[in-house]
Amino acid sequence: MTSISASIAPVVPTSNAWLVAAAALRVAVRDRSVVWLTAMFLAMVLVSAYLGWSATHTLDGIFQKAVPVLKALGKAIPVNPASEVSPLSDLRNMTTYVSLLGALAAIVLGTQLIGADRKSGVFPLIASRPVSRTSYALGKMLALIISVVGLLAFAAVVNALTMLLLPGQALNIADWRSLIAFYGVSALCLIAFGLIGMYFATVSRSESMALLIPVTIWLAMTFILPQLTSNTNPMNALNPIKATLVPTTGSFFDITSMILGPFSLMDIYRSLSATILGFTPGGHVVRSMLSGVAIYVAVILLVAFGILRAVRHFDASRSDYND
Amino acid sequence: MTSGWVATSTIAGKEVSDARRTSLLLVMTGFMFLAGLVALVVSAIALHDEVLTYNEAKAQLIELGKSAASIPPPAFVPLKLLRGFIEYIEIIGAVLGIVLGYRAAASERGRNTLALILTRPLTQTMFICGKVLGNLALITIVLTATFALGAVGIMLIGGVGLTLDEMLRLLIIDIAAVIYITIFFVLGLLLSLSMRLLPNALLAAFAIWLALVLIAPQIGDTLDPDNQVAGGVFRTLGIAKPDERAILATFKTYETIRDGIEQASPAKHFERWSFALTGIKETYYGQSIGAVMADRWSDFVWLAGGLAALLSLLLFRRLDFTRLTKD
Repeated sequence: MTSISASIAPVVPTSNAWLVAAAALRVAVRDRSVVWLTAMFLAMVLVSAYLGWSATHTLDGIFQKAVPVLKALGKAIPVNPASEVSPLSDLRNMTTYVSLLGALAAIVLGTQLIGADRKSGVFPLIASRPVSRTSYALGKMLALIISVVGLLAFAAVVNALTMLLLPGQALNIADWRSLIAFYGVSALCLIAFGLIGMYFATVSRSESMALLIPVTIWLAMTFILPQLTSNTNPMNALNPIKATLVPTTGSFFDITSMILGPFSLMDIYRSLSATILGFTPGGHVVRSMLSGVAIYVAVILLVAFGILRAVRHFDASRSDYND
Repeated sequence: MTSGWVATSTIAGKEVSDARRTSLLLVMTGFMFLAGLVALVVSAIALHDEVLTYNEAKAQLIELGKSAASIPPPAFVPLKLLRGFIEYIEIIGAVLGIVLGYRAAASERGRNTLALILTRPLTQTMFICGKVLGNLALITIVLTATFALGAVGIMLIGGVGLTLDEMLRLLIIDIAAVIYITIFFVLGLLLSLSMRLLPNALLAAFAIWLALVLIAPQIGDTLDPDNQVAGGVFRTLGIAKPDERAILATFKTYETIRDGIEQASPAKHFERWSFALTGIKETYYGQSIGAVMADRWSDFVWLAGGLAALLSLLLFRRLDFTRLTKD
């Protein structure tokens, strides 16, 4: 049986794929760059709930100070804006950290999962073992999915504990379900970007370009597309409230949001997260949950297919990067 | 001309010609041009839509026999169109700096030429100065071309030329951008000449970029009470400016911490300086360049001080060239 055959094999994880995944995970946890970025992400997970709580607490404080001023002026007392938000909205900063740190960590992980084999020169060796190219690619993708799900499961537990410890936070069953849904959507987002990193690690001739191209795509998705589709300024895209404001209307933005909207992955992620966590300004919903999830699943399947194809056609004799 | 200067300028010249041949510089510069262009076009279209909405509202009022004076017409302030453009320089420009710093070290480490270069009559200081000067020239050329593109874009959109005062403001922002991006270049070079593995140096630089350019301003921005409610909390509550100031004074510690987090970011200093000069920050609109510079001098000190500190570290730190090979 020849192992370097690029013949079409059934696309199901075999025992070899699990073997490749286990080996890739062992290498990934030893990679310092992946560990650093993951540690940074988890540090921000730890503080995100506190930041949200602190901001909401201050908002409530401002309202309490504003009430006597409004009474003295004879004005009607509006509803306390701090009481209008869902308790889960304290986690609103998580949408930014997932789309920044989480996505970058996923890109680096995806790049390293393939890049490590290319650099160390073990790719021709792996190719000489009874492991089909399909099993190899599926194994690497499984390793990415397991890492992302593991990382987010840990983040979810940290968030849940923080929410239980912060004063005045009472979550009901629906809130807990929403928290799980938020992490489900976050997993889709990170898997998509991790796979994009993995694809470019396979097809690029240079290691630096293998990292820079997915980073450039991520920058375009995070900053340029939201500006083109909804006139969101780049720095506003970092603020979970401002990023989900009702977009500017006008024929240009109507056309761009129709054409580019389905490709604006970060906008879709922010919109879905804002709806799930309950901090959508004025109840504004850009995209339905079903269409948003469907777009992510389609992107994941498309890139996964691209990786399978790229790995099958990869020239094992010239596996190392140029730089 | 001394032999030291000749050696330094030779390294600088080689740096420019090397960078011109790599796709890294081309990709990042092209991306910054594209992003800047998108920001300008989108700002112009948003302004155009605003004018259309105003004209429709005005026509309706006149049709109803009412005065149109109650709705103010949208103002065209040319430099205010640069908001997104400046923010892209903050984000993508810093990445360009890191990429240039990484490339400057990787080009030598990848070919294992570092040890060889230093067997020539060249000190480490001359070598580093040559690298910095060459890349400083590249950064200045790329940024000046980007700002020239911005200026031409504004003139085409507005159909009017920029005044001398506006050109001077753009030039000062260009200089501020050069200082800002050079900070990230030196950071990228320092890490790439200090860490054993080059890809780890690139990633460490990206992690610092994330923390300083995206996360610190993000924390400061989201902790701002006025950003907790769409449209602003004080506007929503109907609180006038004097009362707003009085209420905020009671949250002094919170505000000091929030501002302190923002101050840690060089991106925020570049932004505050640029937004003041362009009048994007309303309080500075209509003020002379001198008045703005006098008020925002601290931003210059932060940026120049940060660059000086990193440069000192790069110049005075002894490099172990035996460790600095490809892998």
